[in-house]
Amino acid sequence: MSHEDRVREIIVDQLGVDASAVTLEASFISDLGADSLDTVELIMAFEEEFDIEIPDEEAEQLTTVGKSIEYLEKKLAEKE
Amino acid sequence: MNSSKMPKLKIGALETKIPIIQGGMSVGISLSGLASAVASEGGIGVIGSAGIGMLESDFSKNFSGANIRALGKEIRKAKEMTDGIIGVNIMVASSDYDDLMLVAMDEGADIVFLGAGLPLRTPKKIPMERLKKISTKVVPIVSSARAAKIVFNYWAKAYEHIPDAVVVEGPLAGGHLGFKREQIDNPDYTLERILTEVISVIELFESQFDKDIPVIVAGGIYTGADIYKFLQLGAQGVQMATRFVATHECDASIKFKEAYVNCKKDDLVIIDSPVGLPGRAIRNQFLEDVSDGIKKPFMCPWKCLKTCDYEKAPYCIALALTNAKKGRLGKGFAFAGANAYLADEIVSVKELMETLLEEYEEAARE
Repeated sequence: MSHEDRVREIIVDQLGVDASAVTLEASFISDLGADSLDTVELIMAFEEEFDIEIPDEEAEQLTTVGKSIEYLEKKLAEKE
Repeated sequence: MNSSKMPKLKIGALETKIPIIQGGMSVGISLSGLASAVASEGGIGVIGSAGIGMLESDFSKNFSGANIRALGKEIRKAKEMTDGIIGVNIMVASSDYDDLMLVAMDEGADIVFLGAGLPLRTPKKIPMERLKKISTKVVPIVSSARAAKIVFNYWAKAYEHIPDAVVVEGPLAGGHLGFKREQIDNPDYTLERILTEVISVIELFESQFDKDIPVIVAGGIYTGADIYKFLQLGAQGVQMATRFVATHECDASIKFKEAYVNCKKDDLVIIDSPVGLPGRAIRNQFLEDVSDGIKKPFMCPWKCLKTCDYEKAPYCIALALTNAKKGRLGKGFAFAGANAYLADEIVSVKELMETLLEEYEEAARE
């Protein structure tokens, strides 16, 4: 499974939303109904899935599906 | 006065005579004066660190330096005034959270209460190895079992270590609230209910780590009978803030205290704070102007809270609260808990504690 697919799967799982709603532009809070605790859990799930650490300042920028995929792709490329 | 009926509170090696924690109140409402008085009566006195540097003369030029200096000074003063237990309340959302934590630990605060955000990562300047060895107890403040679970889970996984206690703050608290507006009056979010849920989350971690984690309740606890009720429900301590405002030792100006004594039940309103959270405050002209859309003169010397949308904020909350502390209520407002209207006179902390013990014992006898 590609990184992008894994990210999408985590979002569907954590937020309990339909996969079709998880578009690149979708905002976690305004489109996918996440609250502040959901966003914390989401970041923790990314960290666990990809075995990385996401600093708070960077986590704050990850507000949409697209931004998260882009960030994680970059972070994982750096890691390899 | 026999206090034996009110149990002690044990947080690791820290033991109080009575299970009462005075909640940290910022800006400048609970400093060394109130905290040391409460500590001397056997409770835990807590200094509110948010915006504490606003009381220094150079705050507008050197906000962060002023905060650090002022907090260090207040902890030292409190420690000189009492042998009791002194804590510090620190907002996780503070831009200088790491520095404030470091000052609290370096100055020997006995305990830190971490609210306004979830303390997940440890401050960069204090590695977990130090945090594990240090005698300062670390206590997160949460408003739901879900938040408690996130924090304890995170610590368990990342550090193989968990916080020393937890404060559960319900929707009747004063100041910023960890609830959405519509949850505040919803019966699914009463403190009684959330407490029970938090206790069942914490029990799992207690057995996993073979460590006692006291659960402390906060938000609307006002009388000794309230204390009795919540201890019966399984809390091991209470955190009370509002009730300590109408005391001689409280560090706010007399006008601030009078605002508590004079307010009526309907004056306690929920506002949308510029930091993006609802908060409970005593209604006044300043707040009415804000809700009428009148923007107050605004300058942001330093973005003190990570969550503050300072470009859109109609006023600076740190400045408004500092004005209130100093008694300039025309240029600010007082945060207060839902039961603030019950205050009808200003007493000493000693007298207040005696009243609480009597009320508690009366409730226990019934």
